Amino acid sequence: MAEGGGVSTVSENVPSYEHIDVNSTPFHIGTFRNLWLGMLHPETYSYSQTSPETEDLRFISDMGIAPETLAELKSVCSTDSLRSHPEHEPPDTEAVPPEPQLATLKLRKRRQDYKKSLIRDSMGRHDVYANEMELLAIGRRPEDSKDLIPEGELILSFNVVYPVLFERFKHVRAYQTLHVLGSQKLTELRDAICCVSDLQVFGEFSNTPDTAPQFLSKDHYKSAFFFFEGTFFNDLRFSECRDISKTTREWAKTHDFPDFKTARMEDTTFYDLKVKVGYPYLYCHQGDCEHVIILTDVRLMHRDDCLDRKFYPLLTHKHRVATRKCCVCHLYISRWITTNDALAPVDPCLYCDQCFRMFHYDDHGNKLGDFKAYVYIDPGAFN
Amino acid sequence: MEYFKRTLNTDCENILGRFQATASVRFEVFSAIWREINFSSIFYGPMEPNKCRVFTRLVLSVAAPYLLPPYAFQIRVGGLYLLYGLYSSQLTTPKEKVRLALKDWDELMRFQQDAVDAQHYDVVFILRKLLHERAFHFTAMPNPVKRRQVERQGQQLCETFIDRPSRAQELISTDMLEELANVHEHYENLKRVISAQTDQPILSLVKQNLVPKLRGAVLTYYNWQRNQTVTFFPPQSSRRAQLLALIKSKSYGQAVEHCASLIFKNKFNV
Ligand SMILES: [Zn+2]
Ligand SMILES: [Zn+2]
Repeated sequence: MAEGGGVSTVSENVPSYEHIDVNSTPFHIGTFRNLWLGMLHPETYSYSQTSPETEDLRFISDMGIAPETLAELKSVCSTDSLRSHPEHEPPDTEAVPPEPQLATLKLRKRRQDYKKSLIRDSMGRHDVYANEMELLAIGRRPEDSKDLIPEGELILSFNVVYPVLFERFKHVRAYQTLHVLGSQKLTELRDAICCVSDLQVFGEFSNTPDTAPQFLSKDHYKSAFFFFEGTFFNDLRFSECRDISKTTREWAKTHDFPDFKTARMEDTTFYDLKVKVGYPYLYCHQGDCEHVIILTDVRLMHRDDCLDRKFYPLLTHKHRVATRKCCVCHLYISRWITTNDALAPVDPCLYCDQCFRMFHYDDHGNKLGDFKAYVYIDPGAFN
Repeated sequence: MEYFKRTLNTDCENILGRFQATASVRFEVFSAIWREINFSSIFYGPMEPNKCRVFTRLVLSVAAPYLLPPYAFQIRVGGLYLLYGLYSSQLTTPKEKVRLALKDWDELMRFQQDAVDAQHYDVVFILRKLLHERAFHFTAMPNPVKRRQVERQGQQLCETFIDRPSRAQELISTDMLEELANVHEHYENLKRVISAQTDQPILSLVKQNLVPKLRGAVLTYYNWQRNQTVTFFPPQSSRRAQLLALIKSKSYGQAVEHCASLIFKNKFNV
């Protein structure tokens, strides 16, 4: 055991439900991994396969049976014995069999008939997309063997929920799912979370629209923290970074809350964490952009997973959001938002880059009229 | 996809119920039922590849709990066979895995040992085959927890599949028997006081020796139950299995003896 040992350490790091189907008890990720590795034979999670002959000999000696008994077992337990159709007449797996006995198939048949009556399944698209991302990575092996993730590594899945900061996210709790490795630093997850507020551009640029891209928030406000189980993990990699959890901690101190701890995000791996699965925690950046973050799953790496270290954190799900199109051409994604704009049908108004420049500046780039222009980052631009 | 949960439950309970009725733990018996229902066809029908994956995950997650307590040994064997059948007949590539939580690993290994001791080689063979094929994901929790759906429907336990000894034990807890003896004694005393006033032999309405009789009834039930269980752990099986059965019966018997002596102590104030 990495931590302490002791019986209490063992049982308290075996996760169980704190609230049934909602969240687990808190456990130390590294110890949890060691418990699994201590119980499993390394072959059980190895990427390579033991030869069938070795496996057979082992079974014979472990059970104390004759080789003939094993041969008989193999034939009795073969998957062929589960087949309801003749060997050379494979069934059409694309169709629900007529007169199905299974309740699930009856339901599938009903739903299928119903679906046929619709033109198309409008909900399908975003699922397809999520799955494409997941499928791309499945079973991927690295080109360079040094990128191969060692056997027995842990894989953690995080759902990062978008903040309700944006009016349009109020009803759909959009989220992205990221897989990280136990040995990765918290900062690696932070860098992989994409959020429009990192791309916001502050300031009014109607006089100098060409200078706008230099003012990306991500490059200006680098402070951020994760909050897990009473500890603020601050990103202090850069000299400009500040401990932005300080205000919260000081407020908590004066309001009778238990003391919160702090740690450095860049010095902490996921193995060092003690967390609950299914419990809402916090990721905060850009000062006030707060994301609820939930660890939905922790498990040992499987040989069918993406085994290339370079792909982690691995994005496996992303909510597709509708993009806002330019008010003039209704074709391109909006890049500018204007106010006090005499040319605009509404206030504020969204334009694509081309239409914005065409309407608001003359051939020499001189501003026409008295309006204000801000950079608009469409949340759908990440799709 | 969640709407399939109920029908999947029905289908699993149906095949396991039929297996239970055979009073067997043989895979041949199970596979005959599987073929008859054509259980592999649960995956048939048009479905986009991504949905197919989600559906397969759901199917495995509905079947997985039958492998574990509180289900009785025979149901757990059926659960193992069911998972084996579902795992091998799924149509996704690579195959979706069966999730196994850390807290359940010990239970699974004990189950395997019981099967080894009772020489149920088909059970051991299939479990080892699944492990060898890397059919499991070794996880923290039985299912990924998302906190998304507000209303959640926990899987209902099928009562008739549950291991019975635990329920009998609950019935005759020390506290409960003691309480019953006290109440009964109090009741007898009250009756005695009333009958002294009236001459009517009301006391005959009271069941004599209620607590010992209850204990006797539960013991008889327990012995019957043990004989049922023995079906899956035949006498020729190894010493350990017999020892296990003995230990179980002893601890049970002792609990009863212990309560009874306590009760008699109370009754006669020794
Ligand atoms: Zn954000
Ligand atoms: Zn436009």
